[in-house]
Amino acid sequence: MRNWGGAALCGAALLVPQIVTAAPQRPDSLSFAVVAPHAVRRGEPVPIRLQLTNTGARTLNLYLTGRTITFDIIVARSDGQVVWRRLEHVTSQQIVQVKTLAPGEKFEMKDVWKATVDPGDYTLTGVIPTDGPPLRTMPTALRIRS
Amino acid sequence: MSRHSIAVRLLCGAAFVAVVACSESTSPTSKQPVAVLQAAHAPDLSTLARDVPGFGGLFLDHGVPTVYLTDPLQRGPLEHALGAFARGRGFAPSQIHVLAGRYAYGDLDRWFQRVSKEAFAQGGIVFVDLDEATNRVLVGVERGASHANVRSLAARLGVPAEAIVTRDVDPIQYAATLQDQVRPVVAGLQIHFGNFLCSIGFNAVSGGQNSFVTASHCTNTQGGVEGTQYFQSLSSQANSFIGTEVADPVYFRGGVCPRHRVCRYSDASRAAYAAGVSFTLGGIAQTSGPNNGSLTITGTFGVTSKGTAVVGDVVNKVGRTTGWTQGAVTNTCVNTGVSGTKIVQLCQTFVSAGVGGGDSGSDVFGLTGGTSVRLLGVLWGGNSGGTQFVYSPLNQVEQELGPLTVF
Repeated sequence: MRNWGGAALCGAALLVPQIVTAAPQRPDSLSFAVVAPHAVRRGEPVPIRLQLTNTGARTLNLYLTGRTITFDIIVARSDGQVVWRRLEHVTSQQIVQVKTLAPGEKFEMKDVWKATVDPGDYTLTGVIPTDGPPLRTMPTALRIRS
Repeated sequence: MSRHSIAVRLLCGAAFVAVVACSESTSPTSKQPVAVLQAAHAPDLSTLARDVPGFGGLFLDHGVPTVYLTDPLQRGPLEHALGAFARGRGFAPSQIHVLAGRYAYGDLDRWFQRVSKEAFAQGGIVFVDLDEATNRVLVGVERGASHANVRSLAARLGVPAEAIVTRDVDPIQYAATLQDQVRPVVAGLQIHFGNFLCSIGFNAVSGGQNSFVTASHCTNTQGGVEGTQYFQSLSSQANSFIGTEVADPVYFRGGVCPRHRVCRYSDASRAAYAAGVSFTLGGIAQTSGPNNGSLTITGTFGVTSKGTAVVGDVVNKVGRTTGWTQGAVTNTCVNTGVSGTKIVQLCQTFVSAGVGGGDSGSDVFGLTGGTSVRLLGVLWGGNSGGTQFVYSPLNQVEQELGPLTVF
């Protein structure tokens, strides 16, 4: 698995001389999305990518967690019941990594989930812990066929 | 002082009284003045000083409008000038309490300005105030600083000695947080290295070397000494370099370590303080309370012993991200796999309490009474929900880093 990471943005600090703080997500300058197939057969691997993009004109410092950036993927049924969480029952190092994103820069985190669940409609949500409130993607739909 | 500045002085003075809790020992009534900030329309003191000869100051004494007059015959003009204010406070003008003042407000204001202009050039002056509640100029002097210097200054400036009151006070400082630069360095503060942020676990002396302990993964390379340089709280700040990594045992394979994994008994490392960096041995930053999310430092815990915890013990940690959190030990001696690595930390302790990214390296301790604490270990991990933290017990930290004097 290859991952890069991404998280809470702020006006700058360690790498550029601005204010250091874990600020709330700013939709106007940071895009966070989950990318996956719309449908797969039951039992097939589902490649899932989380994409974090600086859509603004200013460099962002993102306060992520982990020496290797920690990210979560949540798979839920259409009724909201979670069937898989990437970070379920894991212990992560509680270190902050300051990740700098230049204007227009994007980085991705990737994982693969094996769709060993009943056929039906599901949602995928990406989450990146920060040193403040986590960043979350909007859920994206995934259909598991028999 | 302009009319505006005089008017502002009433408000500021009242706020000062409220905030600093100035109890004026020389007050003729020996009662606590009440902040005038509640007044919808605070009187313009310069106007009062002009319209009421001998006016020496206005304040509320337990809610009662109270005025100093150097000339008691001026009660009539006073009631006229302050009638609306008194009625607004629920009192008739005749109920305004008049105290015998020694100095007119204009004189006090002139002396206040003279003293204020010069006093701060001396060391140890915290504030200068025209104290409306005492009819004096009040000078706050930092504890241990000279009051005599203030009196000498006043004499040199032609201010009557009796018009100046000095008082020992604590310095007034910006409220620091766990993420700010703080000296002396105590546990729980943010440290910065490379592009990472962690927390200080505790201060220690090892083999005569002044040190602090943090997590092993809060070094440039987890396991092995690379001379990681630490800054508190950020490298971009002046005078922020505090020390260099000197101890971080390598992870081992085999033996009790699970196959295809590397292990240690603690996620801990030690850094030597740089010369001249002040730190408090046994000091742990304290915030206003456990599990309230505050990062503002309100005091200091003091380590007075070392110990271990058992399941059910309530333990605490203070770290730069989630502050002071507290909860029960749920599991002990847990061999714990670290997400995203081949590392297994052997015989670790789980606690049901809040944690967040950046808390790695934090102190873990038990309260033993007052601000005394028993040091228990070093926090390094947590679950994804931020509701459970994992720490390395202190005995295992010392097993790997060597004996540590921690208080």
